Amino acid sequence: MNEAKDEMNEFEPNIVAFLCNWCSYAGADLAGTSRMKYPPNVRVIRVMCSGRVNPMFVINALQQGADGVLIAGCHPGDCHYVQGNYYTRRRMAVLKRLLEYIGIEPERVQMAWVSASEGQKFADVIKEITEKVKKVGPQHHFRRRNVWRI
Amino acid sequence: MANIDELRRIVKEIVDREDVKYVIGYEKGTYGFRVSPSFAFTPEDVEKFIFSPLCVHNLAVYPHLEEKLPLKRNEKEDTRKIGIIVKGCDSRAVAQIIQEKGLDREDVVLIGVPCTGVIDLKKINARCPHLMYGEVREENGNFIITAEGDTHRIPKEELLCDVCTQCENPNPILYDVLIGEEVESKKEDYQKVKTLEKKSLEEKWKYWEKKFDRCIRCYACRNGCPLCYCEECMVDNLSPQWVRRSVTISENTAWNIMRAYHLAGRCVGCGQCERACPMDIPLMELNKKLEKDVKELFDYQAGTEEEPVLAVFSPDDPEEFVL
Repeated sequence: MNEAKDEMNEFEPNIVAFLCNWCSYAGADLAGTSRMKYPPNVRVIRVMCSGRVNPMFVINALQQGADGVLIAGCHPGDCHYVQGNYYTRRRMAVLKRLLEYIGIEPERVQMAWVSASEGQKFADVIKEITEKVKKVGPQHHFRRRNVWRI
Repeated sequence: MANIDELRRIVKEIVDREDVKYVIGYEKGTYGFRVSPSFAFTPEDVEKFIFSPLCVHNLAVYPHLEEKLPLKRNEKEDTRKIGIIVKGCDSRAVAQIIQEKGLDREDVVLIGVPCTGVIDLKKINARCPHLMYGEVREENGNFIITAEGDTHRIPKEELLCDVCTQCENPNPILYDVLIGEEVESKKEDYQKVKTLEKKSLEEKWKYWEKKFDRCIRCYACRNGCPLCYCEECMVDNLSPQWVRRSVTISENTAWNIMRAYHLAGRCVGCGQCERACPMDIPLMELNKKLEKDVKELFDYQAGTEEEPVLAVFSPDDPEEFVL
């Protein structure tokens, strides 16, 4: 598959999306059932709340070959667990600035609020992040190399 | 710097108390200019205590490093207090640990010493490589080194630790006894962080790649840090294994991001990690960056507030980065 990509000479990023079970995952589901088109670069990981996303998940995703990471949760105030997304917001604000300081493009780590009824917004967010990550290119800074693939 | 006789007298009184197990202070080291931590269980032990600009260590690490053996039958737990000699940054570290409920205020007796800055041993070795052993005292903005019969007078700025040159809390913020007079605090301007921030992403990565590449992952930065006191560190955890053990740029970067991030809003800026680092990685530049960000974003300073910064939130936190 990688060779095929090289032939076409276009970079297709891998994006890992952490979607919260109650809003964003349902939003993605709605986008699917409504047959909206969005880029196929995104790989979804469902978490119970965006507050579950440890910043190390982001770092590990980038290490293991992701070019971009998206964290999506309920809108502030709508969290199923009342305050989970507020904590994530603080954490990611700090993490994004730290990564930029180290020299990782800030476009690679994104956050979005997507509610269960916002199928269109989910599709738009995925389009936007895919475009941005395409522009900055593959993440080669601290990707794991010489790893045995199973 | 505090008067040594007064310090010894007060520490003796504290060690003599029924409810105090021991007091942690400084004694003369066995090699070079080094000073080593010292534990006084009896008033006689206090005689070897010293206090000079060479007392660089942050003694707030020790309450968590103490080994707690399993109790024998009918044996009761020793709940006596631990005395610690604290400088400004050390007291902030203790305050931060208390705030996180890692320690109880009742568990410690804090002997506060206002600090006028400590010496960077690397700078002393670079400045006078011919001196092997010696003592240092401070006088009118100069450090006076007495070594091998000679005295050398060196301006303070040349030997002071980088973090001490801009210390905002030289006076202990939390103490039971204060020895000596309070000193004037300086202003932190984050100059190093700001210059690095202005560079392009590639330059920044090139800079850090070179630094992280040197890391041998000895975890001395973690062990020296008074705030890295988790019972099991994420880096030692094998299931899940957050960071692999191989020393490659990928794992080194992940480790250094992880270490710095765990200290976001918690680092008190004592500089112990950088001092402990055998590979001279400028870890304080990472820590200061986080300190600056947390100050800008949430108006928070470690060790001075009620709750840890990432354990609380405000509905109107900045969110301009959210899509």
